[in-house]
Amino acid sequence: MGFLKVEDLKVHFPIKGGFFGRTLGYVKAVDGVSFNLEKGKTYGLVGESGSGKSTTGRAIIGLNHITDGKIEFEDKEITKIHRAKAEIRKDIQMIFQDPYSSLNPKKRVLDIVAEPLRNFERLSRKEERFKVQELLELVGLSPESILKYPHEFSGGQRQRIGIARAVALKPKLIIADEPVSALDVSVQAQVLNFMKEIQRELDLTYLFISHDLGVIRHMCDHIGIMYKGRFVEEGTANEIFNEPQHIYTKRLIAAIPDIDPNKREELKRFRAEVSTEYEQAYNDYFDEEGLAYGLKPISETHLVALPEKG
Amino acid sequence: MWKFSLRRILIMIPQLFALSLLIFILAKMMPGDALSGKIDPNIDPARIEELREEMGWNDPWHEQYARWVGGVVKGDFGQSFRFKMPVTEIIGQRIVNSFWLSLVTLILTYLIAIPLGITSGRFNDTLRDHLITGYSYIGFATPLFIFALVMLWVFGFQLQWFPTSGSVAPGLEPGTFDYVASKLYHLLLPAFSMALIQTYSTIQYLRNEIVDTKQRDFIITARAKGASETRVYNNHILRNSLLPIAAFFGYEITLLIGGSIFVENIFGYPGMGQLLVESITLRDYSVVTATTLLFGVASVLGALLSDIILSIIDPRIRIK
Amino acid sequence: MVENSATAAVKTKEMIKTPSGFNIIWRELMRDKLALISLICLIGIAAFVYGVSLVLDQEEIVRVDLFAIYQSPGEDFILGTDYGGRDVFGQLIIGTKNSLSIAIIVTLMTGFIGVVFGLVAGYFGGHIDNMLMRILDFFNILPFTMIVIAFVAIVPTYSVLTFSIIMAAFLWMGIARLIRSKALQEKELDYIQAARTLGTSNFKIIFKHLLPNCSSLIIVTMTLNLAANIGLESGLSFLGFGFPEDTPSLGTLLSYARNPQTLEYRWWIWVPASVLILILMLCINNVGQALKRATDARQRRG
Repeated sequence: MGFLKVEDLKVHFPIKGGFFGRTLGYVKAVDGVSFNLEKGKTYGLVGESGSGKSTTGRAIIGLNHITDGKIEFEDKEITKIHRAKAEIRKDIQMIFQDPYSSLNPKKRVLDIVAEPLRNFERLSRKEERFKVQELLELVGLSPESILKYPHEFSGGQRQRIGIARAVALKPKLIIADEPVSALDVSVQAQVLNFMKEIQRELDLTYLFISHDLGVIRHMCDHIGIMYKGRFVEEGTANEIFNEPQHIYTKRLIAAIPDIDPNKREELKRFRAEVSTEYEQAYNDYFDEEGLAYGLKPISETHLVALPEKG
Repeated sequence: MWKFSLRRILIMIPQLFALSLLIFILAKMMPGDALSGKIDPNIDPARIEELREEMGWNDPWHEQYARWVGGVVKGDFGQSFRFKMPVTEIIGQRIVNSFWLSLVTLILTYLIAIPLGITSGRFNDTLRDHLITGYSYIGFATPLFIFALVMLWVFGFQLQWFPTSGSVAPGLEPGTFDYVASKLYHLLLPAFSMALIQTYSTIQYLRNEIVDTKQRDFIITARAKGASETRVYNNHILRNSLLPIAAFFGYEITLLIGGSIFVENIFGYPGMGQLLVESITLRDYSVVTATTLLFGVASVLGALLSDIILSIIDPRIRIK
Repeated sequence: MVENSATAAVKTKEMIKTPSGFNIIWRELMRDKLALISLICLIGIAAFVYGVSLVLDQEEIVRVDLFAIYQSPGEDFILGTDYGGRDVFGQLIIGTKNSLSIAIIVTLMTGFIGVVFGLVAGYFGGHIDNMLMRILDFFNILPFTMIVIAFVAIVPTYSVLTFSIIMAAFLWMGIARLIRSKALQEKELDYIQAARTLGTSNFKIIFKHLLPNCSSLIIVTMTLNLAANIGLESGLSFLGFGFPEDTPSLGTLLSYARNPQTLEYRWWIWVPASVLILILMLCINNVGQALKRATDARQRRG
């Protein structure tokens, strides 16, 4: 019994070219990723840009074509569901990175938030309006703003509108694709805390995608670290942050900035250390193509990509 | 480059096929056929039916199409039933006339547009630029046939500087100097009418291109090195901007074809455009089919030529 | 200070993104004197022409009167008469009305075909786009005037409607191409992706999300097309392949000038129509260019 189960997910994009636009090769954006997500928890996908974390999220919700692999949601396979009206769309929703481009600039807040309701529920005008006002209140916006356009709001407020839209159908899983990285740092914490709040209130499960380890640490119970389309390490937040095993994870964690100026020298030395280790041990942790090896369990919850020999 | 050209030619084949099919369907839809004009109404209908059978008019359409295409490839467009002679013969002289008209128009267009475009770009936002831009904009907004009518009225009838119809003065021996001069004389007014109107795209392209290049780093570097302004323009800016202009001439062919039909009719110039209108009015459908097909093929080839030349000049478009 | 300029920057950024773009477009148009004059001119001509033609008796005007042929402008006929003794002024009014009407019909038709074609090609992309673009390329290389003339000649039941359909069938490619590239850009934006995750059907996404965001481009292109269509229609009528003679257009009046006698000696028949065509096309183009500047933030005059 699993909530969301991703098995050996592969998303390859063909490179077209040559004489008749033949396929010359593939960009392996996601290349064999597996993980499980427990209900009510938050799972963090971390990696640098181009590591395939966003593609993974988009593949799960059906925005990217899945080359191979299996996705199960509440024990039902959803890999091949593409229909717009599929019930599954109600249960999995998404929050987008850029609050400026993710809201149609030509639509009023009412139409934006009501869009999923109109697709799945038959409500009268009045009911619909009431529901939208309720949702706006839930995300901390004034219910009077339903007739405004997106450009009349700040980035943080826009992201709240995006969240109101995502929770309108009472989904079970929300894929949050870098939900705060386009926002000012001062607003980031607000939105993150608010996301935690509604998680408790609505019993949501998050798949939280971010490149910012600080944000991930604040939000997530489980973490998967991605590099070039593969996992390099997976474990609980505690295991990843306190006992990182893979050299790539260590480097990422060493790069987290610290605000305490007294530790500056110490941190600098530590980073230099990790950096040298990374260069020396690179060949032990990555294969000839510079890709991560398969995951090996080192404890019940902690998996690390290590070569066969080690 | 070879790869691109080959692919581009392969794309052209279905285009030509679709074109021929479209025109074949047009021809089939045309009321009556070559026989209905040719035959004495007193002839026995059975005999007509026999003739139709003989001519293959009752065969399935794809066989008729294949036969027609086969003929066209060999240069046989059938018989004109008005002039009672092969269509190919009628077209022959006309095509030469149209060719010269187009060539002179093209040369005049570039002779007018390139200096104006360069001036406009080099001295952008000055009075000169505004005047040139204004002229080309009015040219863009004026329909060719009105402009041509006015030109004919002013220079042909009022001032009587140019002949008002025909392609050559009667009674001249082909091949003599006078003959050639007379041909050119007859060409000038129609060609000028078309050229003056068609400068818009070339002037605008050159102007934008030059204004853009002017601010690029390598131009600023050239200036900083102390190169004279003329040198900067001749060696750096124009080299970048003029080549694409040369390549566009293939696309211009489509424009020229569209224009020729008006200009030839207005100036009574015996070319393909005039032939088309004449033969439609006379219901001489085999000629209509042939001219339309030739115009279409010329456009297809023009686009092909421009695409290939552009791909040589600008490697970026080869990717697509 | 820094704070201020930063908020100012944010504000301008938001202004550009303003969806109530129609206000901006309107403001720009009002600021552009030439375009404003053109617009007033256009509205004036249209109102006059449509108004007067309600009063005018069209039958009376197109009826041949052999006692009044080729009269020069004077008391009886403000702009003289043509070879059939028909009043040129009346024909000018009806001709302008007919030319404008058909140009509008053709523009709407090409707009509809082009927008649907472009949106579908751009939104779906991939193989569908490839196939549609091949079709577009083919239509694009056809020599417009020749093909239309050939079609007009063979259509058995020839009327204003069939004429506009034939014209529209070979004129939709320009707008389709523009809308396609706009749709290609637009569909990569997250709000389209979001609509898909919300269970909105492709049909709804295309017409409720993509279409409104292409609206300013559509308006600009259709305005410019309107001017071009007036020219094309009158050109075809001039050659004798446009309106039938009992429904005069501006091109019909000009076609009388194909007779050298008329061209040389009876200017009143063809000059007014030419001037009118020029004014119409220049005015519409001016408005179109102003709209284009207004919708393109980089070209905006301030």
